[in-house]
Amino acid sequence: METNNQQQQQQGAQAQSGPYPVAGAGGSAGAGAGAPPPFQHLLQQQQQQLQMFWSYQRQEIEHVNDFKNHQLPLARIKKIMKADEDVRMISAEAPILFAKACELFILELTIRSWLHAEENKRRTLQKNDIAAAITRTDIFDFLVDIVPRDEIKDDAALVGATASGVPYYYPPIGQPAGMMIGRPAVDPATGVYVQPPSQAWQSVWQSAAEDASYGTGGAGAQRSLDGQS
Amino acid sequence: MEDESHNNTLPNGFNTGSPESPFLKTSTTTTQHNKEQDRFLPIANVGRIMKKVIPPNGKISKDAKETVQECVSEFISFVTGEASDKCQREKRKTINGDDVIWAITTLGFEDYVEPLKTYLQKYKEIEGEKLSIPKQMRSEQRLQQHHNNYHDQNNQPFNGAYASSNLISQPPYVPTDQKFSLTFSPNSIQSQLRQQDQIDSVGHWYE
Repeated sequence: METNNQQQQQQGAQAQSGPYPVAGAGGSAGAGAGAPPPFQHLLQQQQQQLQMFWSYQRQEIEHVNDFKNHQLPLARIKKIMKADEDVRMISAEAPILFAKACELFILELTIRSWLHAEENKRRTLQKNDIAAAITRTDIFDFLVDIVPRDEIKDDAALVGATASGVPYYYPPIGQPAGMMIGRPAVDPATGVYVQPPSQAWQSVWQSAAEDASYGTGGAGAQRSLDGQS
Repeated sequence: MEDESHNNTLPNGFNTGSPESPFLKTSTTTTQHNKEQDRFLPIANVGRIMKKVIPPNGKISKDAKETVQECVSEFISFVTGEASDKCQREKRKTINGDDVIWAITTLGFEDYVEPLKTYLQKYKEIEGEKLSIPKQMRSEQRLQQHHNNYHDQNNQPFNGAYASSNLISQPPYVPTDQKFSLTFSPNSIQSQLRQQDQIDSVGHWYE
């Protein structure tokens, strides 16, 4: 059942990918034809990437056997926990568990932020990308006070400019009908441009998943890119 | 005594990601800076983790890293507060791993729960393995591990009463009777199958 759903999504994505070359070649004529697909494509890509991420995490953790080397310092985690005066004693396993939880948190927040940078055709992750990810994700509501309103305004301005002055907001699990109603036409150049960077990202994840190791992820990515060229 | 044990254990996992030692006190400015830094995880560690999911030609601005630093500290405080409240309601003094997982579940981070349960389970298995092989460990390390395990076991009855049925409860510590093996569960196989589906899906997309 799940497989069928994924295949259907994939087929849908393929159908949508067809218009892109036409839109690019057709110019103004293509603009009309390619209006809805690019945005749905972006949302599907985000969901797909996050699904891939969580699937990879489950696989990775199944093979963990070293709890000495952490990505994050346990002493610092414990100090942050202790900042709460109500916290009395902490068992040894709690900071170790937090080290992994924080890693997952950083990874998810970064993925969602990067998708926003791509939407704005940038290669550098900025503060307003993180602000956008926080705004769009329910479980990150507790972070709204962390990012200044200036960043959110700036984000709105960018989005407004991109969408001819019409601001938009959509939840991570948006419904197609709702999106189509709320989202104005996307410039064909934007739609066409967004796809290549996402493919690069997929390439990175694909090689990382195949290697099943963070350590060799970089090398795997390079090999994969070489293979493509 | 409890604090001593934690202090002795934690340094083993300490990574020197912080540019300055928190114990250095050469001036007021330095002290203030250290206190500021203590509120966050090291920016180098945070940046390294972020790069794992950024394409090779992508960059991360410093203000983005600093923002994520703040977000992570807020995440730790947010989850810790929820876990601490639970301990107080149950009149327990020590926050343990199951409390952390419960808090994360309650706060809506459903996707994190399964990986963290697996992680905690494996940690307990490995710790138990170490304790059943005293000859390979120094007497001092064995005492420390023993103390930690005893402390952990001391919380098990409460976990048994309040933890969800999905949590795997560890039996009382009896080193000579316990046997630990790292066999892969059906979940692992299912995860791998799903992973393959993902790979096929992506590969198909690129064709």
